[in-house]
Amino acid sequence: MVTYRMNLGKTGSQEIVVGVIGQPNVGKSTLFNLLTGRKVHVANWPGVTVEKHEGWREHHGYRLHFIDLPGIYGFSASTLEEVIARNFIVSGEADVLIVLIDSTAPERTMYLAIQALELFPRTIVVFTKSDLTHAHGIHINYEALANRLGVPVVSVSAVTETGIDRLLDLIIEVARGRIGRGKPLKIGYGELEPFISEVEEIAKRSSLSEDYPLRWLAVRLLEGDQELIRRLEKRGEKDIVKEVMRLRNEVINVFKRRPEEIMAQRRFEYLSKIVEGIVVRVEVKPGVYEWIDKVFAHPVIGSITSILLLVSLFIVVFTLNTGFPFNIILENLGYSGAAEYLEEYSLGGLMEKLIVLASGLVEGAVAGYPQWLQSLILDGVIGGVGAVLVFLPLIFLVALMLAILEDSGLSPRIAVSLHNLLSKIGISGHAVFPITLSLGCNVPAIMATRATPSYRERLRLITTLAFIPCQARLVVILAFASALRGLGSIAVIALSYLGAFLTFMLVNKALYIYDRKKGYAEEPELLLELPPIHKPIPKVIWWLTWDSVKHFLKKAGTIIFLVTLVAWALLYFSPSLSPAKELSESIGAGIAKLFAPLLIPLNMNDTQAWMMAYALIVGFLAKEAVVGTLALLAGTNTATDAIKTLGYSDPQIAALTMFIVLYVPCAATLAVVYSESRSFKTTLLTIALMLSIAYMVMIATYVIASLFI
Amino acid sequence: MAARPWTTLEALPPGSRARVVNINAPGRWSYRLLQMGFIPGAIIEIVVNNGVGPILVRIMGITISLGRGIARRILVEPI
Ligand SMILES: Nc1nc2c(ncn2[C@@H]2O[C@H](COP(=O)(O)OP(=O)(O)OP(=O)(O)O)[C@@H](O)[C@H]2O)c(=O)[nH]1
Repeated sequence: MVTYRMNLGKTGSQEIVVGVIGQPNVGKSTLFNLLTGRKVHVANWPGVTVEKHEGWREHHGYRLHFIDLPGIYGFSASTLEEVIARNFIVSGEADVLIVLIDSTAPERTMYLAIQALELFPRTIVVFTKSDLTHAHGIHINYEALANRLGVPVVSVSAVTETGIDRLLDLIIEVARGRIGRGKPLKIGYGELEPFISEVEEIAKRSSLSEDYPLRWLAVRLLEGDQELIRRLEKRGEKDIVKEVMRLRNEVINVFKRRPEEIMAQRRFEYLSKIVEGIVVRVEVKPGVYEWIDKVFAHPVIGSITSILLLVSLFIVVFTLNTGFPFNIILENLGYSGAAEYLEEYSLGGLMEKLIVLASGLVEGAVAGYPQWLQSLILDGVIGGVGAVLVFLPLIFLVALMLAILEDSGLSPRIAVSLHNLLSKIGISGHAVFPITLSLGCNVPAIMATRATPSYRERLRLITTLAFIPCQARLVVILAFASALRGLGSIAVIALSYLGAFLTFMLVNKALYIYDRKKGYAEEPELLLELPPIHKPIPKVIWWLTWDSVKHFLKKAGTIIFLVTLVAWALLYFSPSLSPAKELSESIGAGIAKLFAPLLIPLNMNDTQAWMMAYALIVGFLAKEAVVGTLALLAGTNTATDAIKTLGYSDPQIAALTMFIVLYVPCAATLAVVYSESRSFKTTLLTIALMLSIAYMVMIATYVIASLFI
Repeated sequence: MAARPWTTLEALPPGSRARVVNINAPGRWSYRLLQMGFIPGAIIEIVVNNGVGPILVRIMGITISLGRGIARRILVEPI
């Protein structure tokens, strides 16, 4: 059983470990950020790639150590997240547990809370989004609820920050054992009680009874908990499994219903008794935004709306960033002055100016340094990392866009609207979230496939998601496209995205057909909660955006920096480890020349071929590094200038862009493909698919483009 | 009261209400449905049903979208 314990923190103040749980969408991340002041440490839960967020806060001389548990609906152990959450709770690591309930839908979201109370007594029940109850016509008598549940209840709002101090006080009170329950909550399961008692007798003999409260264990076993059964089998306690299964079947025979169904019903009944007279709804008016749901759920209008919405958001982002595509349109209409103005004062244009300015200043400052150090600082650091940092505004804008879609609640509506279309290629609306995330970064996107209920569908997504161009590739696409004049650049950008999505769809379709032939595939299905649509909350949007900008800056400062440094070193030194007289005599060039023949079909001269091959090899590690490496090779400030200096032809640029869009995005993506699929075969398949498709599309693009230009 | 004929969720028109009789979905789905409040006796309101594509329902104050295949597994009694 859980023992009572408080640790002495590093600072000498007492540390209180606080677990935070809640159903999806209740506002857990928001509250967690507020409680911890966003000083958060992110790691993985042991042995799995589910993220574990931890944060700290001092309060009245105590050091509160918050641990964010995964957002789950209950403790059925049907998902990895549910297992993680409950194992954490029974581990005794937490002194206090806070369970969040969405004030705007208390009846449903409290289901997790009472399940938590069945398991862990030192719990505080927190109603989130209290600023919204008024508008929803909901009144909640918190004090009466606290009396009925026997644990403290508090209402908070992350928007107005009311209730936060009170919550912090309560955490300390509960940790010190001043208030709260001594024992877990006991819910009556009616007709199942005799069965539960019998299972308790059986479970007593099991070694698992040391890890869990006995009654809870019995209830879960009767519900057919897969994880517990697996653990029993692993420990060689097969006889216990057999006896439990016998009782389970008896229940099914007698009541003609499965125990888990009866238990869920009894829990909800218990809940409705608990909230009777405590949660009062004055009026249940349909949401003001219900029309939005109707639009997105419409079979034709819905998908068109979603696609138009996403495309126009991207165009807005592009325009703010580089003036594209309006600069080109203006230019072609004969307003080249206006076009230039737009380009110069776009965020990207301003950033470029800043970097040119900075490199000028640094150039002056390092004038007296030894030659190699000058080269390292100017070519390696400023050239390489600077070429990547030009794209900071772009990263920021895409992150902002995704944050708005996410926080406003539009994102799941888009999922609903595209479900039918996606079903045709064997994936469900659940895939929309990973796909949109992919436009930012493939790594979290592949991790987000975990919410996909079908295993084969998930595996197909893991293999194909990397075809969706992430921001890193967008950076390269833009750098390449900008080297083209006029409408060519619009065409290449459009072609990149169309080509990428088309490839994603065709490959998915092909894998789906294969799976169906093998008899693996199920029809894609959808079961998704739609949180209320609301105006985005600026604070939340900022947090989400800043997180991904920070991620990019960190990456630029570490991985991209290191890769660029290695790329620089390989180009600076010759195989005899003395400075190379010519770039083409460097170690890097030697390696690149091995691969350069692969680019023969594109009719490049030798220099063009090995330099591009070198950039592409470096790009295998981190795609952003392609631009830095090209700038380094050509000795220019930006990759676009590099491409112009090196003199690639228009069809070559188009073909190379397609290759970059479709081949392996980065080493991190491969690592996560492996960790999520747990299969070497799947990872190799992904690499093979991407390389071969990218290569074929590159050559096809070159051949076709050469015909027209 | 005469028992109304039972039907499945995906057959109900928008605006109508029904009481859940039982669900008959494979394991993983059925756990999730139960956790989301689709328990016998729960009242569901159909928000959107266009005859094709996912349907939208309200249950326990929350809007949920269901694919037609899942919805077909939920037996209900119209009210
Ligand atoms: N009005 C109001 N909205 C809130 C509050 N807290 C969170 N929200 C909104 O509720 C939605 C869900 O919040 P999140 O913090 O993402 O919820 P979560 O529980 O972490 O959900 P997942 O991220 O899906 O696990 C977001 O759109 C928030 O903007 C609050 O105190 N007041």
